[in-house]
Amino acid sequence: MSEYVVDVGQRHIREVNEEIQEACKRGDKIRVINTLSRHNLGVGLPDGAELYFEGSVGYYCGGLNTGATIEVERNAGWAVGEGMSKGMITVGGYAGMSCGAAMTGGTIHVKGDAGPRCGVAMKAGNIVVEGKIGYQSGFMAHSGRIIALGGAGESCADALWAAEVWVAGDVESYGVDVKIKEPTAEEVAEVDEILAPLGLVDSSHNWRKMVSGERLWYFESRDASAWLMI
Amino acid sequence: MCGIAGRILNAPGKVGRDLVELMDAQEHRGADSTGFAIYGTPRDTGYVLRGMGFDKATMDADVADLVNVIRDHGADLLGDPQLLTDSAAHFCFRMEISDPRDLTAWVADADTLTDRIEIQSCGRSLEIIKDVGGAIAVADKHGVREMEGTHGLGHARLATESSVLPNASHPFWARPFSDVAIVHNGQITDYFTWREKLERRGYRFLTGNDSELIAVWVSDQMKEGLTMEQALKKSITSIDGVFTFMIANTDGIGFAKDRFAMKPLVVIDHGGDLAMATEEQAVRRVFAEESDVINYDGPSLTGIWGVGNRAMAA
Repeated sequence: MSEYVVDVGQRHIREVNEEIQEACKRGDKIRVINTLSRHNLGVGLPDGAELYFEGSVGYYCGGLNTGATIEVERNAGWAVGEGMSKGMITVGGYAGMSCGAAMTGGTIHVKGDAGPRCGVAMKAGNIVVEGKIGYQSGFMAHSGRIIALGGAGESCADALWAAEVWVAGDVESYGVDVKIKEPTAEEVAEVDEILAPLGLVDSSHNWRKMVSGERLWYFESRDASAWLMI
Repeated sequence: MCGIAGRILNAPGKVGRDLVELMDAQEHRGADSTGFAIYGTPRDTGYVLRGMGFDKATMDADVADLVNVIRDHGADLLGDPQLLTDSAAHFCFRMEISDPRDLTAWVADADTLTDRIEIQSCGRSLEIIKDVGGAIAVADKHGVREMEGTHGLGHARLATESSVLPNASHPFWARPFSDVAIVHNGQITDYFTWREKLERRGYRFLTGNDSELIAVWVSDQMKEGLTMEQALKKSITSIDGVFTFMIANTDGIGFAKDRFAMKPLVVIDHGGDLAMATEEQAVRRVFAEESDVINYDGPSLTGIWGVGNRAMAA
């Protein structure tokens, strides 16, 4: 398998993505250089593709991923891996707002912090953040796990559906309708299974597992004040 | 969706050129209109006026009427007014004037002409250039790239709440305070409530653009004696909606972000040599090399950057 280099610069992003898709078809390993924080790089990548983005990328990098392994050297902008169904995305630095929004499968691994609403409306899959997750992370997440090793910002796990938010470290404040549960040994083992391939298992993690209190699932007028809290 | 940008140089230079780059990179966020607030070297006395008239057919009479109001207030033109017309119906002007006796009273009188001709900035240093069209078109028409100064703001507008009109473009001047300009990305949801309240206090609104409210609201806070830092903090709980807005004056640039952290702000700070924008790829037009990017992603944030290599103050 040879390495193919794609130079982004100020070229039209559609032309860049077409070049990436062609290289994926040939089975080349791809190195994307001169990324200049441009948006929509590597959207809709096929199963089995392998990409490395030098430097930082803009919005929606790796969005709609269907099975590629993607690594971003430094930071990613908004919604890295939005709507991905399969594959692995690694962000070396900071991931902006709405990391993994509405994803339906696969894993996103952020080595730095993540911005607000990490995992918003995610349907399945895992997001692992080594640093802190931002304001209102997990907002309305349907299923899947958000795992943060460096704490969480305000309004954490707000208005969850059936997703879980696991945080080691400080949580600045909890969102509406959060239930904090003591995880069982089996549940911790499940999370450790996700962390193990990333080399992040640490038995000293003081986990807080957040799930929905399920009050917001069924609207009742006497609970209107709870709805207005958001 | 709009795009905003700011730039502070370590020493006076081609701030116009950089702001055009910052806005060209964000043109996809809105190309209905584009505007710039450029802070040149401040003069000790006198003001630069920038503005536009709505019908170039009556340009001479409209400009003469505005000059008469200037003379009524003890000021005069310093040199001939610069007038700019093209195929559009409106015309743009730039004039240098001596100090009116009372700036507030003069602006109030000049504002009685705003059905025909409108002053869009008044500053010892500030000049606001705004027009319909994308960054390159507006920059070419008005020679923005050649404008020098210490700092400035840029704005690309996608009109969502009101009409596309040359005077409804950003930046907005916080009349009648000289040298204060704002740009805004977002929507103000209590616009009509605030507008009614402020109009009862005697403020005039010249457009239907919700972002103009921020400029008028800032004027009201300044009138009450609030500092920029105080006004920025107060805006978060006073103004309802989603916003990241920036205010500039001769000392620097400040910003405020709403309670829900809906609108981004990205900054590269090379020891006081600063570029701020809605999108990281825009600041990379100014600082192309990989550098540490500050993401102001959280809710309810404010800050001020000073001109002249001063660090973050608020």
